[in-house]
Amino acid sequence: MKNLKKTAIILAGLAIIGFGFIQQTKITIIGSDTMVILAQRWAEIYMKKNPTVNIQVTGGGSGVGLAALINGTTDIANSSRPIKPTEVQKLKDRYNTLGVEIPCAKDGITIFLNESNKVKELTTKQLSDIYSGKVTNWKDVGGDDAPIKLYGRENSSGTYAFFKEEVVKADYAASCQTLPGTAAVVNAVKKDKYGIGYGGAAYASGVKHCAVKKDDKSKGIVPTPETIAKNEYPITRYLYLYMRNRPTGEIKKYVDWILSPEGQKIITEVGYFPVK
Amino acid sequence: MKQLTRSLFLLLLFLPGFKGLSQNASDTLNERFQSVEGRLNALDEKTAAHDADLGKLTKIKVSGYIQAQFESYQDGLLKTNDPNNTFYIRRARVKFTYEAADGIKFVLQPDFSTGNLSLKDAYAVASLKKVPWLSLWAGQFNRLNYEVEYSSGQREVLERSKVIRSIYPGEREVGAKLEATPAAIPLKLQLALLNGNFTGKEQKDVDSKKDLMARAVYSIKTPVGIGIDIGAHGYYGGIQAKNKYVSGYDAVMDSASTNTGTYLDKQWLGAETQVFFDWLGGMALKGEYIAGKNATVGDSKSNPNKERKFSGYYAYLIKNIGKKNQFVARYDYYDPNTSLSGDEAKKEVNYSTLTLAWQFYLNDNIRFSLNYEMPRNETNTTVPKDIKDNVFGIRLQAKF
Repeated sequence: MKNLKKTAIILAGLAIIGFGFIQQTKITIIGSDTMVILAQRWAEIYMKKNPTVNIQVTGGGSGVGLAALINGTTDIANSSRPIKPTEVQKLKDRYNTLGVEIPCAKDGITIFLNESNKVKELTTKQLSDIYSGKVTNWKDVGGDDAPIKLYGRENSSGTYAFFKEEVVKADYAASCQTLPGTAAVVNAVKKDKYGIGYGGAAYASGVKHCAVKKDDKSKGIVPTPETIAKNEYPITRYLYLYMRNRPTGEIKKYVDWILSPEGQKIITEVGYFPVK
Repeated sequence: MKQLTRSLFLLLLFLPGFKGLSQNASDTLNERFQSVEGRLNALDEKTAAHDADLGKLTKIKVSGYIQAQFESYQDGLLKTNDPNNTFYIRRARVKFTYEAADGIKFVLQPDFSTGNLSLKDAYAVASLKKVPWLSLWAGQFNRLNYEVEYSSGQREVLERSKVIRSIYPGEREVGAKLEATPAAIPLKLQLALLNGNFTGKEQKDVDSKKDLMARAVYSIKTPVGIGIDIGAHGYYGGIQAKNKYVSGYDAVMDSASTNTGTYLDKQWLGAETQVFFDWLGGMALKGEYIAGKNATVGDSKSNPNKERKFSGYYAYLIKNIGKKNQFVARYDYYDPNTSLSGDEAKKEVNYSTLTLAWQFYLNDNIRFSLNYEMPRNETNTTVPKDIKDNVFGIRLQAKF
């Protein structure tokens, strides 16, 4: 009987120690599709360095991420647009906080054109006219006599909202085909000679970057680390991490790491631009 | 050599046949390709039709909640043989929102509580494309006040404070409202024109005079994570006396025949503030003070039209305990007739109520609430002691 008790105590002790060893901290991240590649890269590297931390990254769009933050189903919301006053109100109502906003990277919204398109640069006014449906033929902006095919993002996307607010400044044309994710937009433009799309700089491969001009007299600027850092590229935005409260524990360590030189270096590798 | 020549000759003879065979295969392939392409096009058409139908459906949003609760009452609330506890459905609401276009919205919210099918919200909202921050509301909607507009599904205590329940019965009102939320300034401005007599049942106005309400709230965000909302609201209206019997501010009855049809004042001002502080999981302090003149319509000498001066306030302390729990304390005060005190006030005594509550959020959809409301009334010879009217409530709220 004594032996049995001793064995039970030892087993219980081992179990506690064992659980201690395998206990993992789980961090959930939901939100911006623009930030998915970056967030996954951050998570992969951080988890390698910290095996006890399990980070789950999901896209869905900035609106989806912020809704998950309000509903309590995510620890961090990735967003490619600032939080809206209505969303802050919901955080106030449920959590009695304003939420915590951390700008973690910068992005230039790239205008994607097919490589065979004659057009090389567009003004922000021309982009507005194209996406609002006022200009429907490439010949009106210096290209071939062919109809412009518009590609864009769904309305849950922060990129959709940012581009609408900062560039289109009107409703999108009904002919604009919405696609799930910037990679899909790039793919569509790659296949469509007369297509035009927009999205995060990190996704642009196999398509042409259109230079953007503030107005007729300005010089066309292509998004590069230099033009973004100097705020020369006209369509620049911050990418954000949102949390309900000031981060503590493992989440704080993770956020601190993202803002450290090591975390910021990954931003450049992925194709975005650091904030520090 | 002869054999080779013969073989070549034979091959030449068969070549057109080969060509024919190859042509046949190519034709078959072409036909099949065209058939597949046709099917794909047909599928595309079907998908486009389905997309259009689904697109319409995504414009309709349905949400709602059910509040089932148990309440236990102290003796002072009961008539003879009344039960001192009960289960009941406090609210069972479904909200339908149809977003017809950018800035155009229709909202319908019935309440299906037992024996109480009623219309809560029924309004249309429209904003112009050029000024999306300005919206026009028309229909039946909440009156312009912080506690009134704060959803019953979100509120941290079971019922609103006594002053709000008294001056905004039914919470809603029929009328039109302009709401401005300029993007550049954290300011919300509201202006409404209302019938002014709504208690929950009136379909139309009972008099020709419309009441005016206005509210402004300014939000301040400090760098240390503190958010302060400061606001004020005002009500300017009146209600028509239906007979000559009017009990004035001093409770003296005036029965001049000219009283019939005159307007009794409903005018008050309120100042509010809410402070949100990101401290150990979130904390909020909320308060409002309202004072002015209120009036009610009577139907006889024994139940005359009444004019009263009133004042009231409420203050909340809300502290989140971890992610799932929340402690709430509220103190509220309401004096229905500030002109009278002591024995002159008779039954119109003031109330101060302390409410303690605890919330447990099982998940985003389910919430348990424990609530204990302890009203304390002013005493005089008509109401000689504090009425035993405490209420203990347990609520299970499920929302979707």
